Amino acid sequence: MAKLSLMFENKLVKEVPIGNRPVSIGRSPDNDIPVDNLAVSTYHARVYYEGGRLVVEDLDSLNGTFVNDLRVERATLHDGDSIWVGKHSIKVDTSADAAIPWDTGRKAAAPKINETMVLDTKVRREMLQQAAAMGERSQFSPGRMKMPTLVVLSGKVNQKEYLLTNKLTVIGKSPMATVRLRGWFKPKMAAQINQRDDGYYLGTGDRVPAVNGTPISGTVRLNDGDLIEVCGVRLNFIIRE
Amino acid sequence: MCTGGEPRVLTESLEGVLVQIVSGGMTDVGRVRTNNEDSFRILDPLHLYVLSDGMGGEAHGEVASSLAVDTIVNYCSQAKEDSGVTLVAESPDNWSEKTKLLQNAVRAANLSIFESAQRNSEQRGMGATVTAAWVNGGKLSIAHVGDSRAYLLRSGSLQQLTNDHSLVAEQVRRGIISRQQAEESEMQSVLLRALGAHNEVEVDVDETAIYSGDVLLLCSDGLTRMVTEPEIAGTLQAETNPSAAAQKLIDRANENGGLDNVTTIVARFQDEPKGWLSWLRRGSAKKD
Repeated sequence: MAKLSLMFENKLVKEVPIGNRPVSIGRSPDNDIPVDNLAVSTYHARVYYEGGRLVVEDLDSLNGTFVNDLRVERATLHDGDSIWVGKHSIKVDTSADAAIPWDTGRKAAAPKINETMVLDTKVRREMLQQAAAMGERSQFSPGRMKMPTLVVLSGKVNQKEYLLTNKLTVIGKSPMATVRLRGWFKPKMAAQINQRDDGYYLGTGDRVPAVNGTPISGTVRLNDGDLIEVCGVRLNFIIRE
Repeated sequence: MCTGGEPRVLTESLEGVLVQIVSGGMTDVGRVRTNNEDSFRILDPLHLYVLSDGMGGEAHGEVASSLAVDTIVNYCSQAKEDSGVTLVAESPDNWSEKTKLLQNAVRAANLSIFESAQRNSEQRGMGATVTAAWVNGGKLSIAHVGDSRAYLLRSGSLQQLTNDHSLVAEQVRRGIISRQQAEESEMQSVLLRALGAHNEVEVDVDETAIYSGDVLLLCSDGLTRMVTEPEIAGTLQAETNPSAAAQKLIDRANENGGLDNVTTIVARFQDEPKGWLSWLRRGSAKKD
């Protein structure tokens, strides 16, 4: 089985085998390879098998993940490579892989966690209560209703504010858009907001919106108070309780 | 082993504009399982897409998922002809008629699985997820229970139209764990809601406008657990033939281990070509 060896100043700190699950690297102690250093992000990177290749993926860390000398977002790893996070390096050892095709190991281990089950009402209530208690500890208040709202600061639209109730909110000229833009030459679908489990994400449409003055690339998770600008309309994203 | 429909070309009025809907679906047992408990159906004339992932020992997962799909398809087809179809329960929200019908179709599916399990003791404990999509007049209605998902690829980014009814997703919504942690959790298979567990079920619904260029994806968790969202988005963008895209997504899941049954339905919405160009295309389509 392949393994990762966490090194600091040429000393071995920890050795972790790479199994079927991704190996996480980060400052938080619940990582498989915790690295207690301020230069390392809470969840910094992860290493996993994909289609028989070993891959390292940076998890949008602040200071980056390096393979040998190269900063990477995602890279295939080879035997002897070193992954650098902050001043720590993680040595990649896949020399044992050739003997055992990793695929068979994965199959054998899989079914036990893979059997779908539905929680009955009692267990479900207990687990959610437990989850709620944990939520309070993490400074989250599940008891209060959160109402994500777009408040119009300026620009020609059909309402003063919009409550985001759908999974997908469209900003555009189309009569089916939630935030309806007015005026000539406005695109049918200028931008869109997607409600996901962990928050609201702004994505491009026929235009590239800006959040707090910076044009977005891809999709961006919105934070309470963010300023969205698109097609001459300025919207304030706020979460009301 | 794969089964699936041929891509079809249809037109539907969207804000007065004709839009083509081309769709295709595939299902595969995966690389580990011995039986396929997923079911799906594409009902072209209705623009109805239904996908279900069954659970329960022996062959009962298949029974549950095909019951789910059949009930929903029958319910919606009958409703099309007979507006006096009995509603299982009233929908209080201000959704469109079609969305309410779809929600009731899912409730009916829940009841038929639950009652079947009550009648046949060997089916005890069987259940199913379901994700159903119905396109009407440029509006997409979605109803779902469980962890089979609906996505919309639009302007290059994948928008998730459903929230999983799983323990880990609920923990993410409550801010207890991150989405990353949820994807790596061993508790991913624990569902909070499924069809067939009780005589009543809470059905999530949503509706959204469809724009030309949108690609709708319905998939079982056998896809989303094996293939990352950027990979899914990339595959849908690169392969414009819906049946081929559905197959390529399944291939990806299998390349990454294929731990579960995988089912995908892909529907692509595009402007109807106008004038002589459309005549030309129709001519070439006939030759195929």
